[in-house]
Amino acid sequence: MSIATAPVRAPKAYPRRNIGVTADVPLQLYGLHRRTINLVTLACGLFTLFTLIPIWWIFVSSSKTATNVNSTFGFWFAHPFVLWSNLKEVFTNREDGSFLQWLRNTAIYAGIGGIGATVLSAMAGYGFARFSFRGKNLLFISIMAALLIPIVAFAVPLYLVYAKVHMDSTMPAIFVPFMISPVSVYLMRVYAGGSVPRELIDAARVDGAGEAGIFVRIAVPLMVPALVTVFMLNVVSSWNNFFLPFIVNNSAKLYTLTQGLQVWFWHTNIAGTSENFTAITIAASMISIMPLLIMFIVLQRYWRGGLLLGGLTG
Amino acid sequence: MASPPVTPTEVAGRRQRAFQRRRDRRGLWFVLPFFVVFLMFLVVPLAYSVYTSFFTTRMIGGTVFTGFSNYTQALGDGAFWTGMGRTFLFAAIQVPVMVIIATFFATIFDMGVARFGGAFRAVFFLPFAVPGVVATAMWGSMLQTNVGVFVRVFLDLGLPNPNFFGPGHLLGVIVVIAIWEWTGFTIILLYTALKSVPREVVESAIVDGAKFSRIVTRIKLPIIRPAIILVVIINAIGALQLFTEPYLLSPMAPNVSANYTPTVYMYNEAFSAYSYDFAAAIAVVLAFIIILISAAFLLSQRRKGALV
Repeated sequence: MSIATAPVRAPKAYPRRNIGVTADVPLQLYGLHRRTINLVTLACGLFTLFTLIPIWWIFVSSSKTATNVNSTFGFWFAHPFVLWSNLKEVFTNREDGSFLQWLRNTAIYAGIGGIGATVLSAMAGYGFARFSFRGKNLLFISIMAALLIPIVAFAVPLYLVYAKVHMDSTMPAIFVPFMISPVSVYLMRVYAGGSVPRELIDAARVDGAGEAGIFVRIAVPLMVPALVTVFMLNVVSSWNNFFLPFIVNNSAKLYTLTQGLQVWFWHTNIAGTSENFTAITIAASMISIMPLLIMFIVLQRYWRGGLLLGGLTG
Repeated sequence: MASPPVTPTEVAGRRQRAFQRRRDRRGLWFVLPFFVVFLMFLVVPLAYSVYTSFFTTRMIGGTVFTGFSNYTQALGDGAFWTGMGRTFLFAAIQVPVMVIIATFFATIFDMGVARFGGAFRAVFFLPFAVPGVVATAMWGSMLQTNVGVFVRVFLDLGLPNPNFFGPGHLLGVIVVIAIWEWTGFTIILLYTALKSVPREVVESAIVDGAKFSRIVTRIKLPIIRPAIILVVIINAIGALQLFTEPYLLSPMAPNVSANYTPTVYMYNEAFSAYSYDFAAAIAVVLAFIIILISAAFLLSQRRKGALV
């Protein structure tokens, strides 16, 4: 069949302006009716509502007094507007430890965990993609098998091993496990395989460069998009992790944000505790999601989602 | 027997191969740092978990080897299976519903069908930046019995008081929270897979007169099937370990029992009852069930020739 006989509909069925210009194939060729497009946009709108409702609620509620949180309409502001005093209270309240300290701890864990995971998986991925040493496949398969192992299976034992070697409730006990990311190794292997040409490596070898130098000066610069993606993924998963720190750390000084918020949240729900905790916990929750949202926006242009599963569709 | 004369090119070839081997062995040095951390912080605890599950610590008599007794206790424990059943139900609802929603939106964004698709995509991704603890705290507060904003909306409209944390609704609430948390990320995974489908394939289908729905169901979705399978498995593994949401809700929702899910049960056995050995056995059984299900699912899909 030739292009001339392709089912191109009458112009009035075309979506008018920019719709579909980002798609690979111009939408006109699908011959969709405008009603379908409106319905689909409506579905997107409804899901947007679902997505934004809690975020809007927490934003509005963090500007309210504790009594107003539940006694006024939840989705709109109330008088008095006490956002600033709530925020001040978050940073000065020390009833169960300090929010500022949790924030700092979490930044350290997520930062070191993210950098560690990126460096380790970049090296491993490059090693797997560009060398063929004995036992390579066995190593790779055993690392990939770990994808199926639930975190539950080793969290408590990890705590017991830590206790044995007196490493429980230390900072490394929390951030070192964040560095183990089999998914990142997989992504790095796929990406290094596709972006670091063998000829370039061989040329550098002929010029007398060492393997470490080749990795740092040639492979790493070529792998930057993958490095940023893997770094972001690991920072987010470390920042948001609750179960692992919850199991292996019981020192309030070393709490992550999620651990601290859990304690505060429980306080608001146990009868007899100070009522203004509701407002503080809400304001603290709002602050805790800000750093990641800012990171998403700042690093957006580096965010190569295509890396994630692109290698799987081949 | 005398060896045949060696030509200069053969010597060079042999040297080349030896050099190649030496250089290849150096690849191990790149993999080693990851593998050492992997061994120390994942494999060793796992092995220790299996080891300790064969012992029992008693108040009197210390720790003794008791073979499979922790396992027979766990497998014969009604409390474990109640939680397991509930978690299966949770996974059986949450995973398919979420993957279907995510596939729908990923397809829409990929085909550019919705207006403002890019903006919607960015908004849907936002919950990925919100920790499960915060997501649960937000939804929990909004649905709170008698005072939550949703309950008040119901009452103001003259509807009966919905008890969202009642025995019939609680699991549904957790399903909603989990869908809220993970749909955006799943959309991005599927969207990027869809984007990598070669343009020519779709173009030739259009030229051949294929309709929109046929392009989606017969071309695009079958091509990204490995990605969908991976997404299902990752989410199922997460769902079967359900812990944060019910645990955090428990002061608000008395229906969250000590054995609500296997992970909650394991946590309570380890840190409230201090039976680490029994907790280890629960963890091993749960891990075994999860691995078995993922492996069975993967194999069944491989048989259909879907996996690369």
